[in-house]
Amino acid sequence: MSHRARLRDRAEQTAAALPPLLVMAERVAATVAQGVHGRRRVGQGETFWQFRQYQPGDAAARIDWRESAKSQRLYVREAEWEAAQSVWLWRDASASMDYSSADWLPGADWPTKRDRAELLLLALASLLVRGGERLALLGGGIAPISGRLALTRLAEQLAGDAGGPAATAGLPAFEPLPRSGQLVLIGDFLAPLDAVNTAIARFAAAGLKGYVLHIADPAEEELPFSGRVRFEAVEEPGAIVIGRVESVREDYAERFRRHRGGLAALTRAVGWGFGVHRTDRPPHLALLALHAALSADRRR
Amino acid sequence: MLTLGSLAFASPWLLAALAALPIIWWLLRVTPPAPRRVPFPALALLLGLRPREETPARTPWWLILLRTLVAALIIVALADPLLNPPSRLPGSGNLVVVVDDGWTAARDWNRRQTAALDLFGEAAREQRRIILVTTAPPASGQAPDPLAPMRPADARAMVEGLRPLPWPVDRRAALSRLKAVPFTGATAAIWLSDGIDSPGTAVLARYLASGAGLYYMVAGAAEAPRLLAAGDRPAGFAGQDFAVTVRSLPAPPPRPVTIRASTADGAVLARRQATIPAGADQVTVPLPMPGELRNRVARVAIEGEDSAGATLLIDERWRRRPVGIIAPPNLGGQPLLSENYYLERALSPFTEVRRGEAADLLKRKLAVLIYSDAGPDSAAEEQMVAKWVAGGGLLLRFAGPHLAEQGDHLLPVRLRRGGRTIGGALSWEHPARLAPFAASSPFAGLAIPNDVTVSRQVLAEPDIDLAGKTWARLVDGTPLVTAEKRGKGWIVLVHTTANAEWSNLALSGLFVEMLRRIVAVSQGVTEASEEALPPLETLDGFGRLQRPPPTARPIAGTALAKAVASPLHPPGFYGIADMRRALNLSSGIGELQPIGALPERTVRTNFARRAEADFRAPLLTAALILLLADLLIAYVLRGLLRRRPAQIAAGLAMALLLVPGIARAEDSFAIRASSEFHLAYVTTGDEAVDSVSLAGLTGLSDILNQRTAVEAAKPIGVDIEHDQLVFFPLLYWPVTADEAPPSPAAAARINRYLETGGTILFDTRDAGEVVPGPFGTAAGSRQRLLRLVGGIKIPPLEPIPPNHVLTKSFYLLHEFPGREAGGQLWVEPTDDHVNDGVASVIVGSDDYAGAWAVDGHGQPLLPVVPGGEHQREMAFRFGINLVMYVLTGNYKNDQVHVPAILERLGQ
Repeated sequence: MSHRARLRDRAEQTAAALPPLLVMAERVAATVAQGVHGRRRVGQGETFWQFRQYQPGDAAARIDWRESAKSQRLYVREAEWEAAQSVWLWRDASASMDYSSADWLPGADWPTKRDRAELLLLALASLLVRGGERLALLGGGIAPISGRLALTRLAEQLAGDAGGPAATAGLPAFEPLPRSGQLVLIGDFLAPLDAVNTAIARFAAAGLKGYVLHIADPAEEELPFSGRVRFEAVEEPGAIVIGRVESVREDYAERFRRHRGGLAALTRAVGWGFGVHRTDRPPHLALLALHAALSADRRR
Repeated sequence: MLTLGSLAFASPWLLAALAALPIIWWLLRVTPPAPRRVPFPALALLLGLRPREETPARTPWWLILLRTLVAALIIVALADPLLNPPSRLPGSGNLVVVVDDGWTAARDWNRRQTAALDLFGEAAREQRRIILVTTAPPASGQAPDPLAPMRPADARAMVEGLRPLPWPVDRRAALSRLKAVPFTGATAAIWLSDGIDSPGTAVLARYLASGAGLYYMVAGAAEAPRLLAAGDRPAGFAGQDFAVTVRSLPAPPPRPVTIRASTADGAVLARRQATIPAGADQVTVPLPMPGELRNRVARVAIEGEDSAGATLLIDERWRRRPVGIIAPPNLGGQPLLSENYYLERALSPFTEVRRGEAADLLKRKLAVLIYSDAGPDSAAEEQMVAKWVAGGGLLLRFAGPHLAEQGDHLLPVRLRRGGRTIGGALSWEHPARLAPFAASSPFAGLAIPNDVTVSRQVLAEPDIDLAGKTWARLVDGTPLVTAEKRGKGWIVLVHTTANAEWSNLALSGLFVEMLRRIVAVSQGVTEASEEALPPLETLDGFGRLQRPPPTARPIAGTALAKAVASPLHPPGFYGIADMRRALNLSSGIGELQPIGALPERTVRTNFARRAEADFRAPLLTAALILLLADLLIAYVLRGLLRRRPAQIAAGLAMALLLVPGIARAEDSFAIRASSEFHLAYVTTGDEAVDSVSLAGLTGLSDILNQRTAVEAAKPIGVDIEHDQLVFFPLLYWPVTADEAPPSPAAAARINRYLETGGTILFDTRDAGEVVPGPFGTAAGSRQRLLRLVGGIKIPPLEPIPPNHVLTKSFYLLHEFPGREAGGQLWVEPTDDHVNDGVASVIVGSDDYAGAWAVDGHGQPLLPVVPGGEHQREMAFRFGINLVMYVLTGNYKNDQVHVPAILERLGQ
């Protein structure tokens, strides 16, 4: 698909309040919801959670007399913890994300990293909305809200906005967020490890929990080209001619593994979750992992 | 030049470059192919990677082989390979090239020219100068430029401009020109000869052979030039038949020739094949033709041979003129002694003799009318003959006893009463001889035999103008033949008899010759005087008549008969348009003699030429194609063609398959529709209606095939929007409620179809409803039809008149029912002159296809209303009449058929 056609596609999606992406995201989210079958949804408001034996110090008003009357003990009725979390979502909107090696490899068919990142983001958002969470796009300048409106707004922001001021950097810009918030960062994180570390560490220092999903194109991971190839940079000008790609393939793969290992290490260091995703794999897997990580975090 | 068998290289040193091929191979191996360009976001990770193997030598071996092949091809092509190169020229110095470019060269001029050009090509390769000598006198009539050595390229240009000249060569003059240039032992000579001997030939050959050697090129004896001759005088036509002689050189094989006689404007009057027998050098070909045709002959030529020599121009003298002899009743009863017998014998070889009464003879065109002795019988006849003479006829009269007694007005001179007898019993004079003919006489030049004497004659009164009227006289000065111009014609009187009674002139050959001259005068050839005849049209070397060149000079009439064609007098017509005379090449050229023995050191060869093939262009083309293939391969290797394989494939498919496919689809429709006669219906898009239309027309086609000469093939449904209509004489168009009107383009096509002779039968299929108008009052059908034919130019319609052709084109009909009956049929009022009287639009409402419709077993599909097989039969009859009407037009309207129709009607 040419760039222009893609632009038009996006414009049309915007005009239609983004149903296609939303629908796709919902579909992905639904499969994941089935995948975590058995998890109870936490309702809003008065939902009963458990009875607990009265302990000294509990307010008398909290005693559930009906339950207590059934036995010799006093029980306190505890409701579901209703404090919804705020989740800030971010995806890398830099030019390097607008890349799919499918154009250059025969028989290849996978989306660009950006398409996949946005799909995952929206699908995750859909799941979170079902869970009653409040969410917002990092750098979107809007406080987290909940409900379907949040989803729609998120989709609008994804389509309309290129990703905020730090779009070109490929890393999220820091902004002060409430301590209890959660952060989901989806991107290719091809920037040097130090820069990534700096960006993440600031959020972590602010007390935010987070999750980093590293999206990679298959070509970036495996370097499947052969022969004499001139590799051209996507964001800044630059190119390198490799006389025989086969001969550097293993070295490159090693480097890539090291880069990814570094990413994993630095997220682990701040206690964040880390996941990887390749654009030629189904999005459900990544979403499942993401969601599981977030849910686990929330249950703590 | 390097020669390998029949292959040679003009620049063999270039082949040394082939040694560089291994170097090219090596260079190609080390030069990497251009890289693929691939965008890559993770470039940072690639930076600084040290490849273990920077070996770009992945250029596939076959690609290197291809490129080396290209290089080899170019090198070999530059070395200029030649197949069948010409053999080496003798000598080393200047090259004397003698070209016979007279009339004899025209037959195989192209081969001569090519041979000369080949020689010059060879001379150019050997860098030799050429002295080009042409042996025919130049057309300018002036002395040619002195000879000088010239570059082969210049000689080439000169030879390309040379044309054979329509006169014989002059080898003596050529030799004298040649002697003016240095001729050393190194000088080689090449003679493109015609093989015909002429004065100076032997001397020239000896001179040419005195250098480095003579290369004598001549056509094979069977291809020797041919000369078409009629003898040196019209006497060649003396026989009853028009005959020509083809002269050539003797040769072993029999040589077929085809002689063609044609008129001035090129129409072929006679064509005759003959064969010059083996070993012979000529053949005489008779060209028998009726007299009228013969008189139109202007040119006789050898077919397929464009040459002045193979062309014989025919002028008026050679035509057989019709001569009428007034035949009086033969009173003497001795037919072999009668004057008419003598005249007929004398005239018939060269004229067409008719006999009869003057009134009968003059009904046809006649050149000469002859009265022997007796004059016109009546004043009316005299007047009639006088009028004919004034209009251009020639009246020839002979004296005799009757004329001696009573003259009339149809005489050139006044006669004395009574004849004059010379050498009689009472005369002291001897029978008189003829005096030589005066130069101004038509008889000028005729030899007078000594034994011709005249013993009796009629005498003219000695008038002042008698001398001027006298064409021939006796030795004593008395006129023997007198003539007077009357109007456009002549009256000629021979003062003696046409038989042997008064003179033995009639027994001599002179009599025939004199008659021939007189007959020739009748065509307008006046006194063969010294008067110069200007050139009218002349032949070029290829035997084409054209305007005379400015150098052509008039020729004296007397000289014409024996003249030899020359630059001053090229062959052709001379005189003025009304009385032209032909100067033919053959008149001045006798027998053709082959050139005899040639001097030693002469290589004799012919023009047959092994085709010299230059491989440079094909080799370079092959190299270019391979280079293009290499370019394509390079693109593929760089992956530039892989980005959009689908688009490229689609483009190729478009180019290769789609367009021809569409064309094929259209063609197949056209072929199917036009290879047989098909009834056609318009598809409405309504499945039920269309299937009834198809079934109906199928049923009608079956009936047509059974009962009539029409052979209708399976009906075709046409899509009014897309299909060509012109193949169908008749379109059945059922009108449905929801059919969309045709688009403007389709409407324009339908209009054109109607204008160019197509007929459409609209069937509104609503006869159940009342239909007073052409489009029905039933609002539905009216609206439907009006809507449907919106863009179509429907002519005004009228209810079908009772005597319309449709009622009688096959069956005699009074009604035109379909599945329903009672509907009115409307037709366009026709004019017999437009479209053969066939209405272009017929509108009916009776659902005809419904009545005709049959199923696969030929059984009717739908019931007819009100019913009965009679109605169905009538419906079929209407269909047959309709098809017949469309196919035959107003043929049945012809009154010729009225009796038959009346008879069938029982009236």
